[in-house]
Amino acid sequence: MLTRLLVEPFDLPFMQRALVEALLLGVVAGVVSVFVLLRRLAFVSDALTHTVFPGVVIGYLVAATDGVVWGALAFALLSAVLFTVLSSGRRVTEDATLAMLLTGFFSLGVVLVSRRSSYTADLTTFLFGRILFVDSREIVETAVIGAVVLAVLLLVGKELVLRAFDPGAAAALGYRVAVLDLVLNVAVALVVVAAVKAVGTVLVIALLTVPGATARLLSARLPVVMALSVAVACLSGWVGLAVSYEASVDHGVRLASGGTVVLAMVACYTLALPAGAVAARWGRRRVVPAPDPYPRRTGVDEVSG
Amino acid sequence: MSLFGEDYTRRALLEVVLVGALCGAIGVHVVLRRLSFFTMAMTHATFPGIVLASLLGVNLLLGTGVFGVLLVLTVAGLWTRRGTDQTSVVGVVLSGGFALGVVLLSAQSGFTKDLSAYLVGSILTVDGGDLLVTGIVAVAVLALVTVLGKELLLAAFDPAALVAMGYSATVLNVVLLLAVETTVVVAVPAVGTILSVALIVAPAATARLWCDRITPMMITATGLGILSGVVGLAVSQLVDVAAGAAIVLTACGVFAVSLVATRLRGRWTARRAAGRPADERPAVRVRGGAGG
Repeated sequence: MLTRLLVEPFDLPFMQRALVEALLLGVVAGVVSVFVLLRRLAFVSDALTHTVFPGVVIGYLVAATDGVVWGALAFALLSAVLFTVLSSGRRVTEDATLAMLLTGFFSLGVVLVSRRSSYTADLTTFLFGRILFVDSREIVETAVIGAVVLAVLLLVGKELVLRAFDPGAAAALGYRVAVLDLVLNVAVALVVVAAVKAVGTVLVIALLTVPGATARLLSARLPVVMALSVAVACLSGWVGLAVSYEASVDHGVRLASGGTVVLAMVACYTLALPAGAVAARWGRRRVVPAPDPYPRRTGVDEVSG
Repeated sequence: MSLFGEDYTRRALLEVVLVGALCGAIGVHVVLRRLSFFTMAMTHATFPGIVLASLLGVNLLLGTGVFGVLLVLTVAGLWTRRGTDQTSVVGVVLSGGFALGVVLLSAQSGFTKDLSAYLVGSILTVDGGDLLVTGIVAVAVLALVTVLGKELLLAAFDPAALVAMGYSATVLNVVLLLAVETTVVVAVPAVGTILSVALIVAPAATARLWCDRITPMMITATGLGILSGVVGLAVSQLVDVAAGAAIVLTACGVFAVSLVATRLRGRWTARRAAGRPADERPAVRVRGGAGG
């Protein structure tokens, strides 16, 4: 029964490609999402998935399908740099700046795309992706970008962790905190670029936030969190694809594959909530709260009633 | 005024004025409490409410509203838990809620058209009922932020003092989150998710650049919300681009100009201050370019 559900659907070539894509993204995003959790970059990830949209549109207009990745890459890097620069402003907090970059860039994309006739279909694909139509070229693109991201994280992972937990110490040791921030933002941007065309914005946000958050509920040790995060991302990808296939083919209920993968991830999170609480009561688990990436400033301390 | 001569453009104009005022007012608290990501999450996570309401045939606003209340309670409940951090909870709720909507949607066919309207809004198709609901909610939310203004400000500024004075921080949080949620629920069907977030955050953030006191900030934000709506709508009529996108770009443009202007002003003040003895200089030094 379980074999039939979890293995058989992947006899089909398009399901195999979808699974390979989901697992590749699961490994890369699983690792990156731990850093996203540590530095509380969930909103940055969400923003990046939207700010690449004008890049996707411009890339498509300039060079059809070939241009999409390059356009997305250009806008992802541009917005990663803008986030890093603008987050140093003091009066308006980082999250408000992010919200404006997000909506502004996305609207730019909408204005560009609204000049085309098939604009609704374009938007829908952008949102939900089409993981079942991934071709081998896109898988290679994902693999290459993923390898670059993992290599970078392997090189500066220790520094990034130090910066996450103690920015003061990182600066005192001579690291440029702004450069480390930029490196991580660019890594997140690259994951978004690798994934957004194939799996859509919704799934990318989920991949970059939920696995890390789930793993963090279960453990406080960084290597364990990272392993669990990758496991959650990959498992959800596999089970989600299998369930959506099963429901669509055998039960006549069409379930969007990307959405089902996300729901599988959220199910893991929901299961981890009580499990984490039990583990906390049992073990001598130390609760290490994630540090605040923003300065402890609500933006109101200069406002008087 | 021939620009707004048609009936539907006049209704759209009234709607952007109402939504602009509503979003500007609540936006002040969103910006001060750093709830932008929460707002973004609510716009996306209430999506299954819309799908469920249309499946069950109940009123769209009612369905979304009830679903939104559930989400607010989930978020507020998880925030009080030890070991979970706020950003990741919001991220999980955002992706989970939206994915649930997508999956529900894919189970039935022929919904795609409404979906892109949901994202970028269809302000030119609002009807009298929409206007009435927006008006009522605008009045209610404005009354709420006026009546509870002092408490909300205290909660943003010094949560410990708030608790010490005998208020329940949790109750006040839930009230504020519910106000944001109601704003989102009312604004999204008319103006779309992205535009709701922009109208809530951008005017308030712009006002924050210029104002240090909460009342002027509130008035400026409300005014800017209305202004961005009207100007954006006029531009979209003139050059034929999506109305929602034009409004967002106007609101963000006003912010960008204000940012540059206030930073130039900050640099100028800093330079003047540099000529004076050290103890007369501003306590916080304005960094060139990036700060200010």
